[in-house]
Amino acid sequence: MSRVFWTGLAIAGAVLVETAFGYLVSSPGLFLDPFLLVVVYCALVGGEMHGMLAGAAAGWIQDALFGGRVLGLAGLAKLVVGFAVGVGAGRFLIAGVAARALVVLLATVADALLVQWLASVFSLEATGLSPLALTSRATLNALAGGLLFALMDRRLASRS
Amino acid sequence: MALAVSARRSRLLLGGLVLAHLAAISHQVDGGGGVSLLQRGLLAALSPLQRAVGAIVGGTGEAWRGWAFHRETYEENRRLEERVRGLEAELHARVPGAQEAARLRELLDLRRAVPLETVAADVVARDGVPWFRSLTIDKGEADGVALDAPVMSPTGVVGRVFAVGPHAARVQVLLDRDGAAGVLVERSRVPGVVTGQVSGQASGAEDLVLKYVPERSDVAVGDVVVTSGIDRIYPKGLVVGRVRYVGKGSGLFREIRVESSARFDRLEEVLVVRQAREPLDTPRSVE
Repeated sequence: MSRVFWTGLAIAGAVLVETAFGYLVSSPGLFLDPFLLVVVYCALVGGEMHGMLAGAAAGWIQDALFGGRVLGLAGLAKLVVGFAVGVGAGRFLIAGVAARALVVLLATVADALLVQWLASVFSLEATGLSPLALTSRATLNALAGGLLFALMDRRLASRS
Repeated sequence: MALAVSARRSRLLLGGLVLAHLAAISHQVDGGGGVSLLQRGLLAALSPLQRAVGAIVGGTGEAWRGWAFHRETYEENRRLEERVRGLEAELHARVPGAQEAARLRELLDLRRAVPLETVAADVVARDGVPWFRSLTIDKGEADGVALDAPVMSPTGVVGRVFAVGPHAARVQVLLDRDGAAGVLVERSRVPGVVTGQVSGQASGAEDLVLKYVPERSDVAVGDVVVTSGIDRIYPKGLVVGRVRYVGKGSGLFREIRVESSARFDRLEEVLVVRQAREPLDTPRSVE
């Protein structure tokens, strides 16, 4: 119950960040994906089950509030990414800022490629991200994720 | 043993969820034109959260500026400095108000110029994901906003409504790869279709593509492009943009790029057309 509550709160925080970021830059989605940060953190901490359920929930909310005409693309992409990161976290020791930032970077690239692949599978016209835009998005996401995860860990450690 | 069962269970759940997603997406894709009940419900449930966030961000910014201002004036020379800062604060407070008034005046001028019944709306969120170009506005079904309603800014066509909630709506902007509008080149009356581009640019400075214009057509750089009304979504005669580049295409058609009149990255207020009063006879420049 507590896990569901905190995940819901984190997703609500992602909505807040995404909306607030929209007031500062014209295309916030080009620079940061706070929903993905929530999914990756849930998967790293809670495993594949938590990761994929958080991914599905976060993706659907992102689709409904910020996506295109068809709902479910980000939901499916983040579901798969959450599962994959959770499986990875169960098999490898992913600790430390650099390792987690690398996971966020790879997850951002995988999420983008999945959405674009799904869009092409369903014959949806989606704007493609150039390699440069994708790299800069993944890098910024990784930096933000590494920093945020370190802060979260420090906070949880001080509480326990 | 327990770990293996747990892994198997999570994989089964993954498979089930993937199939459910694929079914949900397929259903929407097959459904075509209209908006699904699911999307409508989600928008109705979640848009108040976005509006609240907008209000919180605005309110927090104001509170922060007020706090910083008071702290600085308290620390500095009391009388004169306080007075100067007070005047400065007043000036700064009026600048956004004056800017907003100017924008609203432009919006009002457009409303008077265009013989259509319209409703003004604030943009509350934009472009959350880079693959689709959309805006969220704070007017919905309760304000008379309908599906496929054209959306305009004082400088040009913005897009059309693709999802409506009771008090909010989502707008697909013309820059979206899936967005399109039937247009005419104002000078030569050459018809075509404008759409968004395949690749986005981080700068936000993107052009529209004018398609299906035959090689020998009379189109030149600087020509004004207006809606033709043939798509039955956008009323005839609304300004879309100006031709920026004309080149030789790869096939039967020319390669033409159009600089959009609407400044998508700076939109704060828009007009949504409720219903047409009368067809526009002549192209109407709103710039």
